[in-house]
Amino acid sequence: MDILIPVLILGGLGFLFGVGLAIASRRLAVKTDPRLEKIHGLLPGSNCGACGGAGCFGFADKLLKGEASVSACRVSEERVKEEIARILGKKLEKDTKLSAILHCGGGKKVKDRFLYDGIEDCISANLALAGEKECVFGCLGYGSCAAICPFGAIHMTGEGLPAVDKARCKACNKCVQACPKKLFSLIPWASNVYIACSSHDTGKDTIKACPVGCIACRKCEQVCPVSAIQIIDNLAVIDYNKCTSCGECVKVCPMKTIRIQA
Amino acid sequence: MNLGYFLTIFISSVFIYNVILSRFLGLCSFVAISKETRPAMAMSLAVIFVITMSSIITWFIYRLLLVPFGLTYLRTISFILVIATFVQFVEMAIRKISPALYRFFGIYLPLITVNCAVLGVAVLNSDMFFVNGKASPGSFYYSVFQGLCVGLGYALAMLLMSGIRERLEFCNIPKALKDFPLSFIIASVMSLAFMGFNGFKF
Repeated sequence: MDILIPVLILGGLGFLFGVGLAIASRRLAVKTDPRLEKIHGLLPGSNCGACGGAGCFGFADKLLKGEASVSACRVSEERVKEEIARILGKKLEKDTKLSAILHCGGGKKVKDRFLYDGIEDCISANLALAGEKECVFGCLGYGSCAAICPFGAIHMTGEGLPAVDKARCKACNKCVQACPKKLFSLIPWASNVYIACSSHDTGKDTIKACPVGCIACRKCEQVCPVSAIQIIDNLAVIDYNKCTSCGECVKVCPMKTIRIQA
Repeated sequence: MNLGYFLTIFISSVFIYNVILSRFLGLCSFVAISKETRPAMAMSLAVIFVITMSSIITWFIYRLLLVPFGLTYLRTISFILVIATFVQFVEMAIRKISPALYRFFGIYLPLITVNCAVLGVAVLNSDMFFVNGKASPGSFYYSVFQGLCVGLGYALAMLLMSGIRERLEFCNIPKALKDFPLSFIIASVMSLAFMGFNGFKF
């Protein structure tokens, strides 16, 4: 008989709470659009923020409200985007696929101006007299880009330069924003030719600091059959709307500044 | 009811017997969520709220159900039952009433359901303020106040820890010690420091 009271009381409590919670979950249920869960499940879930939403969930929310377009997601594959567009009942607008590229070829080839002994991070190093490298435009080599890349697409090579793994790069723009020297840019995935320099110094000064910098000799400008290259402020710049990746400029560049992506 | 006793409860549960650094309760959330100050404070606020409310509820359960029927040996399971139900309910209610608040600390509530600090305070209250199976005078107020103060102690420890860990982000730390190993070392040193309060006498 002694066991009866505890069983009743504890069982009663449990039953009461169970029923209470069941009722509460009915009463307090929040209506969510079932599409929200579906879309969120399809999105990559890396929360990179390249779309401008607060993570993938925020983006899914924006998509449902019609405040964003599916193509804003840089990470998802085309067929996933089509699937999401189908759920939303919209058509997918095609977008050029991009990938990040580093506009610097210096790395360890550039000498140091002084001994930097601070925090091993590009942003910190840049605060000390724009870094220790002889070329103030060039890569500092502490790998802030590699650290911030949410897809592990950037790794540091032995030459003290980051290398972008094109297959993994989702063009999320994080490295472009993180680099204190603004050395990254997003170029069309299909293009291979790029300028491995960002120095706006005159040719004379550039050649002193770096063996592979652009010296603004204008050979590429002249040889380009579609006039896609222009020297702007002592630096060759490729207009990717015109560039056909023919590789003529790569052949004539005396400093090997213009390269073909590996 | 003795007003001076409230001060004793405050000092002892915030400093001398700090729930994390002296009683070693609620350590998992202490280590896991103390990386940045903002989430740490959100978690602390949620803990303060839940501990205070659960002190109130468990006092009634203990006083009105367990003590009269002589079932005090069932307090652990019944307290857990009550706390888990309460936290689930609060989570639902917040989600319905204020989505902004839910986004701020809703995600921490399920963590608190199984937080030993909450149960610890409930058990402690029933130990301290019930003498020989009878509620001592003013025990309800003492219990609630102790719940609040333990929550404050938790917030204090979280604030200290997250402040230290935020600064550590910018330091050169041996790779093997990064994150958790170093947090354990810091926590133990902080705990040693808090043991210094043990000599306090009133």
